[in-house]
Parts: sequence; structure tokens; C-alpha cells
Amino acid sequence: MKTFYTSSDQIHDIIKSFNLTKGLFVSSIIIGEAHTGKKTLAKYIFPNAFMVSGANQKDVEDALNEHEEIIITDFHALSNKNTLNFDNKRVVATSDYVANPDAIDNMFAFIYDMPSLKERPEDMKYLKEIFTKKAKSTFMVEDMDLDIDNIVIDLSKNSKTLKRSIFLHILKLSLDHNEIEDLLYDYIYRNLDGNDGYREYLALYEKPLLKAGLKKFGSKLKLSQILGINRNTLRKKIHEYDID
Amino acid sequence: MNTISIDFKPFIEWDNNPFILFDNQGKIAYLNDASEILLGYVSQKEIYDIAVAYAPQSFGSKTTVISLNYGLFTFHSITVGYEDEDYVSIRLYNAPKIKLRNDTEKNNLIKTDINTLLGANLALFQIKNKTPIHLFADQDLPKLMIDQNIFSKLLRKTLDAFKDSDSINISLKLIIGQYIIIDDKKEMIAQLRIFANTRDKDKDRHIESLASQTNTICYLGEYDVRLEIPLIKI
Repeated sequence: MKTFYTSSDQIHDIIKSFNLTKGLFVSSIIIGEAHTGKKTLAKYIFPNAFMVSGANQKDVEDALNEHEEIIITDFHALSNKNTLNFDNKRVVATSDYVANPDAIDNMFAFIYDMPSLKERPEDMKYLKEIFTKKAKSTFMVEDMDLDIDNIVIDLSKNSKTLKRSIFLHILKLSLDHNEIEDLLYDYIYRNLDGNDGYREYLALYEKPLLKAGLKKFGSKLKLSQILGINRNTLRKKIHEYDID
Repeated sequence: MNTISIDFKPFIEWDNNPFILFDNQGKIAYLNDASEILLGYVSQKEIYDIAVAYAPQSFGSKTTVISLNYGLFTFHSITVGYEDEDYVSIRLYNAPKIKLRNDTEKNNLIKTDINTLLGANLALFQIKNKTPIHLFADQDLPKLMIDQNIFSKLLRKTLDAFKDSDSINISLKLIIGQYIIIDDKKEMIAQLRIFANTRDKDKDRHIESLASQTNTICYLGEYDVRLEIPLIKI
């Protein structure tokens, strides 16, 4: 059986309410931002339900004719909701947003709000651990020491951007000298154009070099020694790249 | 059978038919729960006058078929009785409610435990609201045939009307001695009463419409909603 991990009280309450209605022929909808686990939750509670996407009106209508227990994902994408008949069906819909609250209110007996990942710090921590493990395995750096609390996380698209943030972070840490060179090569090969290419693409290397150096060594004097360049040249470069 | 030691008062208390005992001055000596609600619609003097007018000529009781209407109440007969000069009692019998449902509704009726539906709706309500709920539900109510989806919507909208209250009291019980006739069949009735210190009336029209679709009789009061739900058998 599929599992659904959560530490959120709100989601535990949703599961509790769903468990009470599992055997009933009622229509329910879970509304929440994209990539918050609505579909996974529906599948966890109704593992045998027929799943259909609201992106295709005809598929949904056919599914309602043929199946007793249905999960309709992306309900917001349905072009005509009024033609759907939920009589004597066990319907669970998921929707990223509600365009017409009155219509939803009239169609569904049970309306649940799925909290975003920002509102579920414990769930976010769990997902960070899961994605970190997967990323380490993918990039074959299982032994890498990593403080996951220091990873800068983007939650704008919930679990999707969370996953991307972690994979990107671990990818960056796992690259060696040659791979970084290859990376730059590919990037420059794809993008090099115009009439100021040398200056423009040199910045790709120079700017992170100066930023990282300043952060690591603090003073410009020390950094100029480390880099082996004149202090005035360093100051000029820092000014040119508008580095604090 | 020795009945001397049995206290009958609670049974009268629970009876949905109003029962009132007057002293010889017309003051109330005792009344049951149903009478308390009735007296919100009619004065005690009017009921006392009826009791006196329909009292038997000598000690004992007399039942008279009489149609009385007070607000939500309709009675088909009364029994007036006295054993001495000090007290006179009147019992008013609720008229059965008659309702017909259409064939399309019949197809959607599913055998249901009403407590399960109520429990699920309360769980949903408590996810979104922190209003304390005091529930007194008869867990032994028989299962009924009902459209689960529409009835759930009815429960949700009814509960939502109380979301701004300080606390909500809910009782679910069988109405003893009252029936509803549906398709020529006599069905028992369960009463779900929700009351609190405030009630939002914006969704009353929806509540009435949903109640009507589930053969439920709905009374919308200032601070309470009563749903009388026929326990339709298979």
C-alpha cells in the first residue's frame, strides 16, 4: 500500500475525515497550490480508484459513466463542470485553485483545503531528507557531508521547486574541475554570439572568482595576494562587477 | 406486573408529543420538552382553555379528534384527563407528516449510518473551525436509505451556519411516537437539532432546498436548525 507521510495536523484531520467517508458515495475535493501532494493523498486514501485528468473533459465524462470510484486530478482544467453527474459515485477531485467557489460548493459534499509546504515545516524537513538522499544517489555522492539546513530552498512551486533546489545544490557540490569546465564549455558553446563575447563570458568566471574570494578571505589586500594580482586591478574589477 | 417502582417521568419527558399538567388555577405544574417548544408558538392560557373545554365530564380521560395548528406544530387529537380537582393534563398528538418522493430520488438512496455521515461532516467542520461542539448522538439509530452526497451537503451547509457561534450543541435522536408517511409506508423519524448563540441565515434557501431533496423536514429557527430525517427502510 502506498504511504503518505505528513506531520501536518491539518492533513491528519483531512485523512481522518476521508477515512470516515471512504465507504460512502460522496463527492469530495481537495483544493491547494500545485505540488502540495493532493494527488498522492487521494491515491493513498483510494488506492483502487480510477484516475483521470480534468485536462480532458471527455475522459472524465467516460470515467464517470464507467467507474464507481474516481479520482479527477486538475479539476480546475475542466472546460464544462456543469455536465458532470456525481450521483452514486465516490468522487475525489483535486484542484490547484477555485475559479467559481459557488459551483464547487454546490457540486461537492466535502471540501478540503490542502496547506502549502510553507505551512508544513515538518513535512518540508522530511521531503528535504528524501530528496537529498535521492540526489546523492543520482550523483553518486552518497558519502558527501552535507548540512541540509544550509541549502537555500525555493518553495514557490512547493515540492517541485524544493526538489530542484536540493538537486541543484548537490549537483554543484559534486562537480569536479573538469566537469565545471565542461559545463562552461557547453554553456558558452550554446550561447556565444554578438561582438563583446570575450568580456561578457569572461565575467562568468571572473565574477564568482572575486565574490567567493572576498567572502573567503575578507580583505581586498589578502585576496590580491592570493590571486597574485595588483590591488588596484582587483579594486577596478570589483567595481566593474558591482561587487560589495 | 408490578409498575409501582417504575419512574415514568423520563418517558414522558422524551416524548415528542407535548404533555402539560395544569393546576386548578391554570398554572403549569409540569411540562415535557416538546411542550416547551410548543409554548413558543401558543400561550399556556390557550392550551389550558382547550384542556378545560375538552375535559371529560367526570374523573378519567377523554381523547378527542381535533385538528390544531401552532407554528410548526400540527396535532390530530388531544387527550385530556384528571383524577381529582387539583390537576388536569393535556396531551397533544403530532399529526404524521406526509411526503412523496419521486422515482429519480429513489435510485440514489443508499443504506447509510447517519452517525457516520454526521461524524465525517463534524470532522470536516472542525478542520476549518475551532468552535467547540457538544454532541449528544444516539449511536443506535437504525440505518436509513438516503442520498449520501446531497445529505452530506445539507449537513455541511447547516453546520457552516453556526461557525461564528461561541459553541455549538448538537443532538441526534429518534423522535418517539412520531412517524412520516412516504410512498404509503410509515417511517420512523430521527431529529438532528443544532443550536447555538448565533446563526447565519444566508444559506437558508440552500439548506431548505437540500433538505427537500432528501425528504428531510427542516425547521429554521433564530438560533437553531432542526432536521427531521425519515429513517427510510429498504
